[in-house]
Parts: sequence; structure tokens; C-alpha cells
Amino acid sequence: MSSRRNFNPWAFILPGAIAGGVVLGVPVVQAFWTSLHRLRLYRLHDQVYVGLDNYSRLLQDPLFHLSIRSTVVFTAGCTVLSVLAGLMVAAIMSTRGIRGTAWARLFMAFYLVPFVATQVVVGMLGRLYVWEPEYGLVNFVLGLIAVDGPAWLISRDTAMLATVITNAWRLTPLAILIFYAALATVPDELIESAEVDGAGGLRTFMAIKLPLIRYHIGFVTLIQLTSAFREFDTVFALTGGGPGRATNVLSLLVYNEGISSANLGMANAIAFTMLIIVGFLSLLYMRLARLDKVGD
Amino acid sequence: MLAGRWQERAGLGARYVFLVIWLLVSVMPVVVLIMASLKDTALFQSIPQVLSFSGFTLDNYERSFRQGNYLFFLRNSMIISFSALFVVLVTCVPMAYGITKLLSPRSRGTLVFMVLSTRFLPYVVLALPMYLFFARIGLSGTLVGVVLAHLAMQMPFIVWLMLGFFAGIPREVEEAAVIDGCSPFEVFWKVCIPMVLPGLNAAAILAFIISYNEFLFAFFLAGYDAQPLTVGITRFIGGADVGAQYGVIAAYGSLIILPIIVFALIVNRYIVSGLTQGAVKG
Repeated sequence: MSSRRNFNPWAFILPGAIAGGVVLGVPVVQAFWTSLHRLRLYRLHDQVYVGLDNYSRLLQDPLFHLSIRSTVVFTAGCTVLSVLAGLMVAAIMSTRGIRGTAWARLFMAFYLVPFVATQVVVGMLGRLYVWEPEYGLVNFVLGLIAVDGPAWLISRDTAMLATVITNAWRLTPLAILIFYAALATVPDELIESAEVDGAGGLRTFMAIKLPLIRYHIGFVTLIQLTSAFREFDTVFALTGGGPGRATNVLSLLVYNEGISSANLGMANAIAFTMLIIVGFLSLLYMRLARLDKVGD
Repeated sequence: MLAGRWQERAGLGARYVFLVIWLLVSVMPVVVLIMASLKDTALFQSIPQVLSFSGFTLDNYERSFRQGNYLFFLRNSMIISFSALFVVLVTCVPMAYGITKLLSPRSRGTLVFMVLSTRFLPYVVLALPMYLFFARIGLSGTLVGVVLAHLAMQMPFIVWLMLGFFAGIPREVEEAAVIDGCSPFEVFWKVCIPMVLPGLNAAAILAFIISYNEFLFAFFLAGYDAQPLTVGITRFIGGADVGAQYGVIAAYGSLIILPIIVFALIVNRYIVSGLTQGAVKG
């Protein structure tokens, strides 16, 4: 009897923890180790220790600087756009008269489509049917309101905007869903009393609902930030990093260096730099927003 | 009073208009893809032409199956998705359960923090060393690499998701089971698992969708014989025999995207509960 009561939770944790340590931990250590070496893809036995040489060369590489800039613009753009769009849709979904209706459920089901759509197909679809200058969906819609749309993916100036919108399109459903669920927890009495006091819909939202879901806004911002930062599939299929290197975000640069240029040491140095950036960002964010409380 | 009610009605109408516009934003690109796949021309068409029902054909689909080797890549996609799903559930679900049963809040907090932080790992940091590792031990190009990579990718999310569901089980239920003479494993398997079944469904569905859609790891780690659909289509587009036949590409894309969208619409309830769990309590 006593042995039955003597339950050790670690028996359940260890298999997963060991598996996780191997599949998550080993590659990270290996990435760092390889980044300290000169290693070519087709000469894997010929590994030369070079210390931090890859990192110092990386910091002087204009392509890396360009990539950092693209990544910052892409990540910030996707995060801001998806969080704002998510807030707007969720706010309207959770107004009285719509919230909880069969229509709301139907809308929500279809709002999830971008989230479950295969990223490489989204990228390909974007290139051929959405951003195509002459026949594409976006320029068709712009034409309806008599605007002559640009040559989106072909021009350096607009390619990043199109890439950001495409990826934000994919990220927005998660934001809608979490904000909608969070807004549903705001007690009705709060809103009613505000309305009795004469506050309009927008005022109630800004003054009462928004502060109440601030942790969720923080959480979604962090999730979107990190998933935009590491995005590979959509950008790869949509622009391949082009035109020129206008949309060559860090994930793609790792691929270019490691596979196309066969320079594995350097590619791992870039990858590990990404890890440092994202680790720093999430730690900073968790400190600021005390997000460690959200998951409990 | 009457004016006020009218104003309210107009406001509701405007909000519905906005929601319908957002619905179009969400689904129109996919609708255009599907309609384009049903056209017999190899050339680009304007949006009204694409959306019309003229020139309807299933030719592009036939060629996707034949030239694009669709069923072969679909088989690989299914093998990868289901193997990854199995490995993910077997390791992550007991782990999440164990974490909620830890007595010391400090070790529980540390473990939750570790799981949470790995959720933000850039995937290229994993893909490249794994590629190198599997190349060295001679397993490059096999399914093993892709499945393990998917485990790495999914583990933080699935453990975190299940934590929320297990934490919702009342302590009394388990205590009653122990008094009835259940062993720790029986408590987990016969009492707790049935209680978190909705969560388990959500986890399984999301894990499956994420694996099915995944490209980066499959691209880095799968050899030709093991490639899933996501890699298959990039190969197909790159192939010389297709050239500018946009209809065939559209059909191939539809064959990848449509099954998963239909599946997601059917199990939509679980996706919603899975994605909001952990982020929103209750």
C-alpha cells in the first residue's frame, strides 16, 4: 500500500525530458561547437578549430548586416500587423449581438484557414495568384478602387511589404483566437456600468477591456515575434530571399551559407547568433511582462 | 429612442460587414487557388476569369497525380505526420502529467520555464546541426531524422498545452483513485487520461497539422524517398516538364492545402480549445 502512495512524478517526466534534452539540447550544443570551426559541407572529416573567427567575420559581413535589417523589419512588421489585426477582429467579434452567436462560430472557423494553410503552398500561392502584378488578387482589388498597384514582389521597395503582409496573414488567426477568448472573460457588469456612464463602444474597449487583457496582448506579441523571427517556409516559397536580397531574413541566410555556399561553420555561427538574439528577447520580455505567470 | 435603436442596428450591420470582409481576406487566396486549378488553360487569367466556371476541367489534377507523383509524397507525409504524432504524444503527455504532480513549486517552476523557453528556439538552429549529425552517422535522408526534428519542434508546445489540461483535474479525484487501490500508472492511464481527453484530442490534432505543413526540417533532412508533400511541390515546380503550366501547380497546391483545411474545419472546436488553452484560463 505504501509503495503505491509513494508516487514519483519523475518516472513520468524523465523519458520526455531525456528525449527533449537529446533532440533540443544536442543540436544547440552542436551548433555552437560547429560555429567555432571551419567546416565545408562536402568535406565533413576536415574540421579545423578557428575559435570565434566565424563570429568576427560575420560582424563585418555586409550581407549579414543587410539580413539583420531585413529580419528586424520583417519581424516587427509581422508582429505589429498581426497583433493589431487580431485585436480589431476579436474586438468586433466580442461585441454584443455577435459574441456567442452561430455566426461568430462560423466566422471563427473560417478565420482559422490561414493558420492551418501549408506555408510553402501559401508562399507559392502568394507569388502566382496574390501578388502577381498584372493578374494577382491584390492588384485586382486595388483596381476596383482605381488604384494602380505596384509590381509587388519584383520591386525591392514593395517586396518586403508583401512578404510581411503574407506572413502576418498566416499569424493573425492565433491572435484573433486568443484575444477573443480573453475578451470573453471580461465581466459584463464592468462594461454595462461603463455604458450607463455614457462611454461609447470604442471608449469602453480602450479604457476597460484593453487593460484587462494586457497579459494576453503581451503573450501573443511574444509568440508572434518569435515565430516571425524564425520563419523560413513562407519567405522561402514566396520570394526565396529576393529580389536581390531584399527579403533575405536570417533563417534564409543560414540556408544560403550552410547549404548553397556549403560553409557549415559560418552558417552555424549565424544560427547560434539567432539563438542568442531570441533568448535575449524572450528573457527581456518575460522580465517586463512577468509572462511566466501566464502559463500557470 | 427610436433613433437610438436604429443607430444600434446600423452599428451591428457595419460590424458584420467588417467581419465578412475579414472572412474574404482569410479565404479568398485559397478560393482563387482552387478555382485556378480547375481551369484548362496554362496561361494566367484575370481574377474574374479565374472565379468563373468556364473552361472547367480536372485535367490538372490528373497530371498532378501522374507527373507530380502525388500519392507517393502523400504517403511520406502521412508516415512522417503519424510517426511524429506517436512519438510526440508518448513522450510529452506523461511529461506534462509528471510536471503537474511535482510537489516542490520551485522545481515545477523551473521545468515549466525550461519548456516555455524552448518554445522560441529558431528552427534553423536545430535543422542545420541535425543535418550534419545525421550525415555523419549515415542516417541522412531517412525518416528518423525528420521525425526526431518534429519531436523537437513540437515538444515545447504540446507539453505546455497538456500542462494546462492536467492542472485542471481536481486533486480529490486522484486521491479517491489511490484509496481505491490504483497504482500511479493506473491513476494516470485510467483516471487522468479520460479526463483530459478533449485536451489530448486538441494536442493530437494540432501536432498532426503542424507536422503535415512542416517544410524546413523535411527539406534539410529527408532524402528523396522520404520527402513529404511540402518538399514534393517545390521539386515539382522546379521540374522542367511542368514549365509554365500554372494550372497544374495550382492543382498540386490545392491537393496539399485542401485536405488539411477541410480537416481543420471539421475539428475546429478542438483547434480553438487547444490554441487558447494555456493562454487563457478556463
